[in-house]
Amino acid sequence: MSIKDRLSRAVRSGESCGDLERRVAELEAEVQECRNVNLRVAELTDLVTQLLVPLASGDQEKVRELVEGYHSGL
Amino acid sequence: MPVTDVRVDDEGIRACSTREVILDVCFDGRRIWSFWLHRDGLAREGGHLVSWPESLRAFLDGTTRLSLNEHGSETAVYDEEVRLGTAERRIAVVDKQGNPLALDKDNRRVKTFAGRSAEHVAPLMDAIDEVIRALGKVGIEGFLAYGTLLGAVRGGRLIGHDSDADLGYVSRHSEPADVVLESFRIQRDLTALGYRTTRYSGGAFKILVTESDGSLRGLDVFGGFMRDGHLHLMGEIRAPFQREWMFPLGTATLEGREFPVPADTDRFLSVTYGPSWRVPDPAYKFETPRSTTRRLSGWFRGIRTSRKEWDRAYAVGSFDRGGGPSDLVRWIADQEPDLGSFVDIGCGRGRDVAAMAQRHGVPALGLDVHERSFRRQESQHAENTKMLFWTFNLLERRHHAAVAAYTGLALPARRVLSARHLVDSIAVDGEPSARLAELGAALAQGGSGRLYVEFLTAWGDDGYPERLRLLRAVDPEEVESALRAAGARILSREPVSISAGTGSSVTCRIVADWPSTGPSTGGEAQA
Repeated sequence: MSIKDRLSRAVRSGESCGDLERRVAELEAEVQECRNVNLRVAELTDLVTQLLVPLASGDQEKVRELVEGYHSGL
Repeated sequence: MPVTDVRVDDEGIRACSTREVILDVCFDGRRIWSFWLHRDGLAREGGHLVSWPESLRAFLDGTTRLSLNEHGSETAVYDEEVRLGTAERRIAVVDKQGNPLALDKDNRRVKTFAGRSAEHVAPLMDAIDEVIRALGKVGIEGFLAYGTLLGAVRGGRLIGHDSDADLGYVSRHSEPADVVLESFRIQRDLTALGYRTTRYSGGAFKILVTESDGSLRGLDVFGGFMRDGHLHLMGEIRAPFQREWMFPLGTATLEGREFPVPADTDRFLSVTYGPSWRVPDPAYKFETPRSTTRRLSGWFRGIRTSRKEWDRAYAVGSFDRGGGPSDLVRWIADQEPDLGSFVDIGCGRGRDVAAMAQRHGVPALGLDVHERSFRRQESQHAENTKMLFWTFNLLERRHHAAVAAYTGLALPARRVLSARHLVDSIAVDGEPSARLAELGAALAQGGSGRLYVEFLTAWGDDGYPERLRLLRAVDPEEVESALRAAGARILSREPVSISAGTGSSVTCRIVADWPSTGPSTGGEAQA
């Protein structure tokens, strides 16, 4: 059912504007939560590819260089 | 209601307005400074007093024709010959070479384009050229955007009141996460080429370029992408757009030089500034649709909460200078006889870091989002290998990971972490308590250290919060519950009165650790 249909049904059923406003606010917050995941996914992917994978295969000195290099590129 | 009862003196500018207004301050017809009357002013005599910014005071000795315009309006609400200080000369806000200066939005002195000859703007043109070439080297087709493009297309000149140059690029990706990842890669590649950069969001950053006249200039690089038939460009654009209106890039002339621009500049500027972009109209205000702001913010933003306030604080060289180490760090030293290393999260001027490295001889790492905050301490102690300062953004998980990795390699247990006036310096939207708790879990896991947190709980009238530019009083429950959620054990919590008598500000000190046999810390905190 489309949002328009659901709104119409809600209005017919006597749901108050206050309820609808509250639900829209909740939905907006939930949409933003979903969008926020993009930045988090990118951060974690960057970490895995740039830091964790090379870390697993380096010696101590190289690891330190890698960490310092990663930080300087932030 | 208009702006009324304007008075100008050595203290600042007083004015009355029932609604919030942005006022542009002009000296002898040239804009020098803009401020928000209510936001930046103190309530005084039925109106508001906005003090002269520290960055401007050095110039304020002489006479000038001072006019005040509501931003976007050509009608002056005040226009008088005024005398500030005692000198007879005309006030000239210029640098040593005579270049006109103005204050930017963070009250920093910047060279503006107004009144600059082609010779004066040549260094900036060189910088734009250099950055576009650098972007090309890392596989990105940069172009002029926003005000810089508008100036080029309208008349081939920079727009006078601007002080920065804006560049854009359009990614080949369409998923926001991929666009962010690409932006990280571009920044890293530019760093490898020797550029200094600072990140604004997941999709935009600034490149700092040393101009050919030796001054440092920031060029903003806004990432963009196509998605669902719309062009998205960081900043404020989301509009129906076709890829062929963007590529292949064309060229336009700016200050006598050719630069890449979107293929269809008319359509591009229409979605940037509205269809009337050709005609300069100071009253026209392009409002970014709420849906655009929500999308761009949801996908890319959230890593610079409260940064503006701290940009302003550290724009003043004298802010938080002098004095010795904090009472907190003295107390920590008493509590921790077996201290192995010290990490100051939000170290500010870095006095506590220096105290720990010098007096206690332990490796000490200072972390602050503002490089300039600890620069003096860092250079004064450049020979001390136990003392290190890193720029660090509490709101970026990649920074957490870099610090956690470095700490594991270089800072021996027992690690003592200090976060003094950190969670009360970032607005609640940034969730600083949760981010601090995650960082604490990563740095002090398995019983390897302790976290000492101090923050304001009662905003007194002793001037303490104002002096430190704290943003809010924090409920100790906010911090405790965030720490517990990240697996911490609360060892103590106590209030500290800052000054004697009633009206004292009160802080809270919480000590926490992450015992090795304690509750789960949540793996993501230790990424």
